[in-house]
Amino acid sequence: MTQDVEMKEQLPQSNSLSSSSTPSTLQHLKEIASLIETGAHAREVRRIVRAVRLTMALRRKLKASLLSAFLNSVLTPGSDAHARLVLYLPKEDEHDMEVDTASSITQAPVKHSLPEIEIFCYLLVLIFLIDKKKYSEAKACSSACIARLKIINRRTVDVLAARLYFYYSLCYELTGDLAEIRGNLLALHRIATLRHDELGQETLLNLLLRNYLHYNLYDQAEKLRSKAPRFEAHSNQQFCRYLFYLGKIRTIQLEYTDAKESLLQAARKAPVAALGFRVQCNKWAIIVRLLLGEIPERTVFMQKGMEKALRPYFELTNAVRIGDLELFRSVAEKFSSMFSADRTNNLIVRLRHNVIRTGLRNISISYSRISLADVAKKLRLDSPNPIADAESIVSKAIRDGAIDATVDHANGWMVSKETGDIYSTNEPQMAFNSRIAFCLNMHNEAVRALRFPPNSHKEKESAEKRRERQQQEQELAKHIAEEDDDEF
Amino acid sequence: MDPKLTEVSQLFERFKAAITRKDYDTCTQQLSQLKVMLTGFRSLPPLFEETPNSVHELTLARDIFEHAVLLSVKIEDQDAFERDFFQLKPYYTDARNRLPESPNEYMILGLNLLRLLVQNRIAEFHTELELLTSTALENPCIKHAVELEQSFMEGAYNRVLSAKQNVPNETYGYFMDLLAKTVRDEIAGCSEKAYDYLSINDARQMLLFTSDQELLEYSKEEHPEWEVKDGSVFFQKAKDSAPCKEIPSLQLINQTLSYARELERIV
Repeated sequence: MTQDVEMKEQLPQSNSLSSSSTPSTLQHLKEIASLIETGAHAREVRRIVRAVRLTMALRRKLKASLLSAFLNSVLTPGSDAHARLVLYLPKEDEHDMEVDTASSITQAPVKHSLPEIEIFCYLLVLIFLIDKKKYSEAKACSSACIARLKIINRRTVDVLAARLYFYYSLCYELTGDLAEIRGNLLALHRIATLRHDELGQETLLNLLLRNYLHYNLYDQAEKLRSKAPRFEAHSNQQFCRYLFYLGKIRTIQLEYTDAKESLLQAARKAPVAALGFRVQCNKWAIIVRLLLGEIPERTVFMQKGMEKALRPYFELTNAVRIGDLELFRSVAEKFSSMFSADRTNNLIVRLRHNVIRTGLRNISISYSRISLADVAKKLRLDSPNPIADAESIVSKAIRDGAIDATVDHANGWMVSKETGDIYSTNEPQMAFNSRIAFCLNMHNEAVRALRFPPNSHKEKESAEKRRERQQQEQELAKHIAEEDDDEF
Repeated sequence: MDPKLTEVSQLFERFKAAITRKDYDTCTQQLSQLKVMLTGFRSLPPLFEETPNSVHELTLARDIFEHAVLLSVKIEDQDAFERDFFQLKPYYTDARNRLPESPNEYMILGLNLLRLLVQNRIAEFHTELELLTSTALENPCIKHAVELEQSFMEGAYNRVLSAKQNVPNETYGYFMDLLAKTVRDEIAGCSEKAYDYLSINDARQMLLFTSDQELLEYSKEEHPEWEVKDGSVFFQKAKDSAPCKEIPSLQLINQTLSYARELERIV
């Protein structure tokens, strides 16, 4: 579970930092701050999103001295916010700090500080503390910041706030106290909903799901998920996470078809750099496919950088494919520590049933008639009464449609029926339809993703042009609506 | 000691005495009284306030709900079982760090798993299973339920039935009896698909009836489509007739039109 956070959070920390780069990083930070300021004044969320992205690039270069210099330049020294934030920074580079303070006061005239800037400073300090593994300070800092965020109600803060929620939860997770903040996260989610802060809702919903799933509280997670408002995703990363959590919940609740869809989509949508996350998605997806009775292709296990992590699952798939209970048992035992670390142990127990089914299907294809005693021997059922067991297992498989056969009780054998010609049924038509539907859906989603963000091109367009465009759009909408009506 | 607490414990003692006397009507009455009284304590869920007596109160409340669950098994009331179990659950999960472990915990959790199995609520069964630790899974009571579920899914009904002989606790008997009924229905469902016919003798054994008469009554009530003649049960009628050859034209037209529309949108 922790891996998908680690993918982003544990970037190697460069401790050696040449002194020449310090001013430039500081310069960068100041540029970002001014970007946020313009964004806040113009009420343009877009600029703030860019600022956050730029900040993440600077992450490795953050240093205590640098941060205090930055704080001094953008916040009023002596103000509440400044005093609070400086407390969290380690004192070791006191000497540096004084120099910086002196220089920054002379350089930058102190301005009236915006709440956006204050929150941004919190974000920087928090990231720094987490990277330096000072978790108790990070917890204090994030809690203070969350308290502050609850009071501020500005749309331009939302982007920063969403990031802060994430780090808030992360530092509690790293110290293993996730249960503590559940109530707080729920309150924040409520606030975000009331303020129509969709990005915040999205982030907080994921954090809550993660929180519940961390303690295996699938019931609560599903209840929250099904009742929380849904809307079009704002951030791809959050959407991937959501899909992953959704897939997990559905797997536990035995809705394998839906689970497979979510998990595969999560694995596909995740950024290439997020290797840990993709490995997790693949592991779950493999198990779900096995539970569905599918055998994943070999290429799934050969993906770049995943061969080693997926090795146990590969061997497991092999055992299921052959339908050998003995092999399955030995694989499950051999990698049991790994499976329990992935928390997939219970799912693997469920797989036993599929192994039997596959074995039975192989037998039914190969033999037109076979005695139940031989079936029991081939499946290696170890039970006091193997023939009776085999008989009831076979009859259940027949009822569930796994094999097409009849059982002759008096003679004690199983007779397989001739396999019918699949092309005489509706099956191919259905498969064709589902593939076409998938392609069309993909195309539509791609078109939607290519659209411009709302309002981004408004400034360039004159009032007249806009009217013209709106008219066109309306006509188009009418056209489409009419087409829809035409359909029967 | 707090007078309220003393009162509750006294009533609880009387309640326990009534259970041993098997005086279940008095029990249910006293139980409702107890539940009302418990609402007066502020240390219980969902408030979990720290009071000087909190540990004592929590333990007492947990005891009461444990007995309530067991009582519901004795009076064979599944709804009451579910209600009482959900009231008890926070004591096992949220109050875990405040209280010493209850000796009955695994037994009751196992009972609940069995109940979900009997009611065929497999999704919930697995959700509950995820909450258990690996040590809990080793416990005989829990293991029993987990193995039952596996055999049930596989179709090894013999194993389900033989498990009845070695129940870990006598309270499990009620649900095991219910499970036997579920198993019979399952076997009947499987048989009519898997066999063309069965001799009455075999059918009786397979469906766990003691006399042919019971079998005939069962088949009349539950499966009127079964045909009994010449000393055998024929399942022919229950089987689907030849696969449907009709072309689903309306559906196909709909699909094709929707492709055309989508394609037009793309071009």
